[in-house]
Amino acid sequence: MMIKNLLPDVVRRTRADLDQPFYSLQKEMNNLFDSFFRGIEPAPRGFAGYFSEAFSPSIDVKENDKEFIIKAELPGVEEKDIDVTVTGDSVTIRGEKKEEKEDKDKNYYYMERSYGSFCRVIPLQTEIESGKAEARFKNGILDIKIPKSQSAKAKGTKVSIKSG
Amino acid sequence: MSDKDLQKTENTAATERIRNVKTFVPRVDIYETKDALFLIADMPGIDEQTVDVELEKNILTISGRVENGKVKDYRLVFSEYEVGDYERTFTLSDEIDRDKIKANVKHGVLRLELPKAEEVKPKKIKINAA
Repeated sequence: MMIKNLLPDVVRRTRADLDQPFYSLQKEMNNLFDSFFRGIEPAPRGFAGYFSEAFSPSIDVKENDKEFIIKAELPGVEEKDIDVTVTGDSVTIRGEKKEEKEDKDKNYYYMERSYGSFCRVIPLQTEIESGKAEARFKNGILDIKIPKSQSAKAKGTKVSIKSG
Repeated sequence: MSDKDLQKTENTAATERIRNVKTFVPRVDIYETKDALFLIADMPGIDEQTVDVELEKNILTISGRVENGKVKDYRLVFSEYEVGDYERTFTLSDEIDRDKIKANVKHGVLRLELPKAEEVKPKKIKINAA
């Protein structure tokens, strides 16, 4: 399965989709099928997310033998409004993207950005060392690094194969 | 749908470029007050050095360059967003006072203030009693 086809999610129109509604529909269909057949997946964004334009961050998760790297796009969110919780095998990112103070004299031409509270739970199949997680927030991107636990690393012991 | 189709479609939004990255359309809010036009664009990953704002006649172009976030030796567990540049063009209707355009970037959000030129601002004419 092409990992790229798993990309952007059902709710949030991605930047390219703004121009190509039909393409985005096709992608949504791909997504539905792919997420059905895929084991690991972050918790769904909830009904609010599906039926409204509520803000929900996009997330990338990468791993190597030692650690996980989680990146989330949170443009316009303040550090103090982000809350990252790590448990033994999952990471929760919650927070709020605050709308600017409403000004009555504003006449809107475009309103594509979305606001609101968000909460995403990311299950990780491997045990992690929750105490050693690090998080950074820069230019609207949250970057979390979490080392895998010793026992998890040990699970992947390589077996040498002898000839003969 | 192959991987290649995805890339092709996403690239069509922008001008041809040499950099081998995708280009996305940033989501924007645009609103007008009586003195100015405001444009707010979500462009996660940009900072003041990597964003560009150009106004030529009445065509406003905002673009942002995002360095490829590829990390070596990591497997992708799952992915919802892709790293890429941003580009979007707008046609402005009102005359803008070019010298007073203000732009700032915070937390990956570009905020532009485009003040209207004096001659297009609505004016109230004071009526004197005869």
